[in-house]
Amino acid sequence: MKQTLKILKVAFQAINKNRTRSILTMLGIIIGVAAVIMTISAGEGATMQVQNQISGLGTNLLMIQTKSEHKAGINVRMGKPIYKKDFEILQKNAIYMPNLSPLLAIGAQAIGPDGYKSTMVYGVSYDYFYITSREIQFGSFFSDEDVKTAKKFCVIGQTIRKELFPGQDPIGKQIRIDKVPFTVVGLLKEEGSGGMGQDMDDIVLAPYTTIQNRIFGNRKRGYNMILASALSEDHIVDAKIEATELLRESHKIKANDEDDFEIMTQIELQEITSNITGILTLLLGAVASISLIVGGIGIMNIMLVSVTERTREIGTRLAIGARESDILTQFLIEAVVLSLAGGVLGVVLGVIGNQIIYKATNFYIPTAAYSILIGFGFATLIGIVFGYFPARKAAKLNPIDALRYE
Amino acid sequence: MPLKKVIETKKISRVFKNGDIEVHALTDIDLVIEEGEFVAIMGASGSGKSTFLNILGCLDQPTSGDYYLDAVHVNKLSKNQLADIRNQKIGFIFQSYNLLSRTTALENVELPLVYDRTGRFSNSKELAIKALGEVGLEDRIYHKTNELSGGQQQRVAIARALVNEPALILSDEATGNLDSKTSIEVADLFVRLNNEGKTILMITHEPEIAQFAKRMIYMRDGRILTDEIIKDRSTKESALKDLELTAEAIE
Ligand SMILES: Nc1ncnc2c1ncn2[C@@H]1O[C@H](COP(=O)(O)OP(=O)(O)O)[C@@H](O)[C@H]1O
Ligand SMILES: [Mg+2]
Repeated sequence: MKQTLKILKVAFQAINKNRTRSILTMLGIIIGVAAVIMTISAGEGATMQVQNQISGLGTNLLMIQTKSEHKAGINVRMGKPIYKKDFEILQKNAIYMPNLSPLLAIGAQAIGPDGYKSTMVYGVSYDYFYITSREIQFGSFFSDEDVKTAKKFCVIGQTIRKELFPGQDPIGKQIRIDKVPFTVVGLLKEEGSGGMGQDMDDIVLAPYTTIQNRIFGNRKRGYNMILASALSEDHIVDAKIEATELLRESHKIKANDEDDFEIMTQIELQEITSNITGILTLLLGAVASISLIVGGIGIMNIMLVSVTERTREIGTRLAIGARESDILTQFLIEAVVLSLAGGVLGVVLGVIGNQIIYKATNFYIPTAAYSILIGFGFATLIGIVFGYFPARKAAKLNPIDALRYE
Repeated sequence: MPLKKVIETKKISRVFKNGDIEVHALTDIDLVIEEGEFVAIMGASGSGKSTFLNILGCLDQPTSGDYYLDAVHVNKLSKNQLADIRNQKIGFIFQSYNLLSRTTALENVELPLVYDRTGRFSNSKELAIKALGEVGLEDRIYHKTNELSGGQQQRVAIARALVNEPALILSDEATGNLDSKTSIEVADLFVRLNNEGKTILMITHEPEIAQFAKRMIYMRDGRILTDEIIKDRSTKESALKDLELTAEAIE
């Protein structure tokens, strides 16, 4: 132990003696560790945003939609569409789902007095606001009564307000969607951008009855989905079972046949997205790790040069009684200290880099604690692995040859 | 009471093999050096002086023959044991000093103590300062080695060879890179250390430096040619005077 401490001091002296070279050696590790931290953190940041957005939909959320399958990357509907009849059956019989809302989505041009914007228009019921817990900044939601009577009311997001009513109060004003005039009754609170980069404020909500009657007209068209919220988080599974049973009955599916619809709970959605973003993070981290390995090769390179340059020093140390293990330890410690110091500076650089990206893009990147551990652990490992070969070369030198080396 | 044998070699030979070529660097060397001796080894270049010194210093192993250092049979020791012996019993001085550059005199002298595993030295800094004092460098302790003259650097190297209180000091052409006056001062330092009881073995090719020793061994072709006691040993004063006379003669 005491011996190790003494050798540690020797290694530090050697690093300090060759300061410029030491810093250059560390550079590869610094950049590698910073890259690992920044990419992993960016991945984590994206994951967090997606997750926030999903939990922003309400933790008890269930999404009921027609079964679809991916064919060559395209979503193909497989089952029977979900119609008004299905919705009414759910509404009438469900015990575990107090709030239910159809969702009819249509991409359309929203035209205001001073601007227009192509956006997503969602036809929903009053329950939608309970289910998704979106809040109103000015005005109010349209009411149950408004939905029943198919009032031409709508609630708009902040982006729509900016485009259509620059510098104005939109409440009570009119916008036109597909030539149908709607009165703006409410303005949603700002939600920010979603994890996938979509703008959560670029949205128009209207009674689904109005959308059905005025925009789709006579075209018989299913709902895109039914949104529901379970009684409580503990009842999500019950709600799913209940919805499945009711819909199977409504769709007249035989006992042994598969469902022709899909019910996804918010937890399942979170799992799926966290799987996707997890893979993404892993990939990014792996790419960044390559730069760490390159940094490690840099360390090995410079340590090899250093061993050659210091051949006489090694010979002298051996002559005055250093054991092979002393020399091995010294050079190994040098390599590890260099990569650890590089690791520390890399962490600092990575954290600062995250801050800079946050300031510049407003994309919040929490520096993931485990990314620091990974970056750090990797740096140490690389110091040992790539430091070992040069250190062994130094330790195995023949003292006489080393002393004679010119 | 007979004096302790610091070195005893029995028919030591060293053969270097380079492919098909065999070089007999040393052949059947028998030598005893007792405690307190001061021996100069002379001989033409290639006569095997350094090879012999390396074996005595446990840096190299003889091809055949036995070597006892301070009553330890060196032949069968492991690498680690050899390293420990070098650390505990031997002080090396080289022609090219072999100091760590950009490092203080103090740190250089402390170096052997870094590798001491016996724990017999408690305060390495104090010991290093004392050794630097013995070679007359008490006012250069914190100087970096590259800031010192050649003679001063060699003194640092000598202090480094002394600091672990070795049984034997081995010097391979320690004055080879120094001017005549500085060489005489280093030789005088050896005399003083020898007077304090150190056993010293030094290789030199300068007769006037060898003349400081008590005993002279002359080597040729890997064998000891002559081995005799030096009768009229030089002193610092006599050597400096001779130096002046030669200088005047040249003018
Ligand atoms: N490592 C070695 N390999 C081969 N031959 C060597 C080696 N070391 C020394 N020799 C040979 O051994 C002989 C003695 O060399 P050395 O001991 O260095 O002589 P000196 O120090 O007296 O000048 C020389 O012929 C030299 O070439
Ligand atoms: Mg020689």
